[in-house]
Amino acid sequence: MPEHMSNPFGDFDKLSGDMYRHWEKAMTDWWDQILDDPGFLGAVGKNLEVGVRTRGTYQKSVDETLERMHLPTRSDLTRLARISSLLEDRLLSMEDTLLELGDKMESLERETIKARIESTETRLELRERLAGLEARLEALESKPAAKPTARRTARKSAARKPAAKKDDA
Amino acid sequence: MNNPVPDSSLKGMNRAVELAKFLASEPVRKVKLGQTPHAVIHRDRQARLRWFAPAEPKHAPLFISMPLINTWTVFDLMPGRSVVAALLDAGVPVYLLDWGSAGPEDADLTLGRVIDGTLVRALKRAKRHARATYGAEAIDALGYCVGGSFLSVCLSRHPGLARRMALLAAPIDFHASGRLATWADPETFPLDAIVDNLGNFPGALMKQSFAWLKPGGQTGKWWGLWERFEKPGFPELWTHLEAWSDAPTEFPGECYREYVRQCYFNNALVDGGWVLDGRPVDLKQGSIPALAIAASGDHICPSAAAFGLERAWGGPVETVTLRGGHVGVCIGQSLPKALIAWAEDA
Repeated sequence: MPEHMSNPFGDFDKLSGDMYRHWEKAMTDWWDQILDDPGFLGAVGKNLEVGVRTRGTYQKSVDETLERMHLPTRSDLTRLARISSLLEDRLLSMEDTLLELGDKMESLERETIKARIESTETRLELRERLAGLEARLEALESKPAAKPTARRTARKSAARKPAAKKDDA
Repeated sequence: MNNPVPDSSLKGMNRAVELAKFLASEPVRKVKLGQTPHAVIHRDRQARLRWFAPAEPKHAPLFISMPLINTWTVFDLMPGRSVVAALLDAGVPVYLLDWGSAGPEDADLTLGRVIDGTLVRALKRAKRHARATYGAEAIDALGYCVGGSFLSVCLSRHPGLARRMALLAAPIDFHASGRLATWADPETFPLDAIVDNLGNFPGALMKQSFAWLKPGGQTGKWWGLWERFEKPGFPELWTHLEAWSDAPTEFPGECYREYVRQCYFNNALVDGGWVLDGRPVDLKQGSIPALAIAASGDHICPSAAAFGLERAWGGPVETVTLRGGHVGVCIGQSLPKALIAWAEDA
């Protein structure tokens, strides 16, 4: 027997789902017209304004009553909380300043260490050069009086020549 | 003998009984949101900077600026539906700025203090922490909804705080915000009366307003539960979402006044002319690469409002549309995937 004949209600889920979606679409279409209507929005706005003004006035009168009874009001508590918030703000600013100072100190320290490393390296380099020069000097000094080289002899003989000319003169 | 009651009707009745039992057990009250382990590393008034550490960091840390309208837990709703947990699994360290709920003492908190104070400070603290913990020199930033609008203002005024910016369902062209833009009309919306008399903008009023933005949403919610009650995992998800939407937060009054006046009334992020704490707000000054993410079914921030960033932002802007609504996009799988792809793309 086909399903629709054995089940007079048909598929209940499908039927209810379809009904819901039709209803939702109709309702949404209707609300869409209302919710975008400037007249409706104006009325809601006015209503909201009256509501919040009433709430404000009520709050003020509660505060005044409590004040007359020498009891702390909501405004008093808010003021105290605000003071602690402002103190917290100042602490945060100080924390910021400390962190920035820490950063600057760190960067200064880094630069100082870098400069010290550079100067130490330069000193080491100079010391090495000096040691090299000293070694060369010592080597030169420790050399026995060497026999004159050909060049030296030539220079010496060249130096002698003008003297000989003088003698000739 | 044939059963006089059709099977589908029996099934329906059984479901109704089970649903009644489920609701009678008050499941929403028992739910715990935001269960991913984390540490609070900085506090500023009601705001908290929450640090979520991945087991194995692989990408640049991500700073998240949440909206001031609801709690941050929509990003960590439940296991398997958590943006934060998915990011951690992919190796992205997360720093999440939870604005908390404003108290009466915060009613005078200005938008300048919120953007140039709390937000900048949280970004700096996150950067400092990321550098010390991960050796990261730069962080990326993500802003969701109004948290994203504020983040864009912040990063245009304070360059160098983030390497890249992503905005999720964050309105920039507020006049393209659909019904919300129609409602936020200076002629009909009693902004000053609300702030002057109530101090902060009440969370309950905010919740009601959002519910009326989509009138079918409330009945749809219950119908959805009825229809999908037997689907594995759906009642849990429904319960967690319900618990999250039941906890709206108070918006600091003075901050709300300037936000609505400049963003909704004047559309100042696109049209300009907004001077915040003596400095003009100009998104054209923003130079870092930006990504605007919109949700296809978003009735609070339609894609036209989110993609206003393309016209307003000074740096290069990419746009992406994900499936889901304004809240639904946070609990689906496509958002974590898109964010992880963005993190890997750096």
